[in-house]
Amino acid sequence: MTAVPPLDLTHFQAFLLFAVVISVAFGFLGRRRPKDRVKYIMWSLFLFLLVGIGVGWAMFPFSR
Amino acid sequence: MEDPEKIPTIDGTRPSPAIKATPSPGDSRALAFGIAAWLLPGLGHALQKMWGRALVVFFAVGLLVFAGASMKGNVFTRQGSDAFDTLGYIADVGTGTFYLFARAIETKGADVSHAGGDYGTRLLATAGVLNLLAALHAYEAARGHKA
Repeated sequence: MTAVPPLDLTHFQAFLLFAVVISVAFGFLGRRRPKDRVKYIMWSLFLFLLVGIGVGWAMFPFSR
Repeated sequence: MEDPEKIPTIDGTRPSPAIKATPSPGDSRALAFGIAAWLLPGLGHALQKMWGRALVVFFAVGLLVFAGASMKGNVFTRQGSDAFDTLGYIADVGTGTFYLFARAIETKGADVSHAGGDYGTRLLATAGVLNLLAALHAYEAARGHKA
């Protein structure tokens, strides 16, 4: 198999990729109606971002 | 010795005979769907004509595996040196056949000396656990539970 070029993502891009993919998967697995799925995906994504960025800021003072 | 069938109970009723728990054909079918879902992400849902869920699981697991391996994440093998390696291997194998895909992509080995490689390791493990969750969901749906 030909070598795949390495993917170079920043911390935020990798975090965003994780949050989007998992939110969409959870939304589709956890809800049936399209409207419910969209609401679930948006809410889940918002919480992922809020907690991720919040924890990142909380750790900032200890990073140096 | 006294026959337990003739022993009267306090309220006068007799205990019902024991029902042997035998797996029904539906249970075997559900188990087959669960295993199919583990082997190929989304297949368990596709076999039940849940096309939206099948596509989302397939592409979500595939994207996470591709990104994780492309970021030089650690694809664990059976020859782990400690419990964390074993847990990582179990999580990675959760992706089913996509585990082989990850091994095929990552021909030059992992590089976790940078944050990207560490993120890649997490994305690979997430893909495996997500696929196991989806396989369990397909199994429960096949058993007729609300899904």
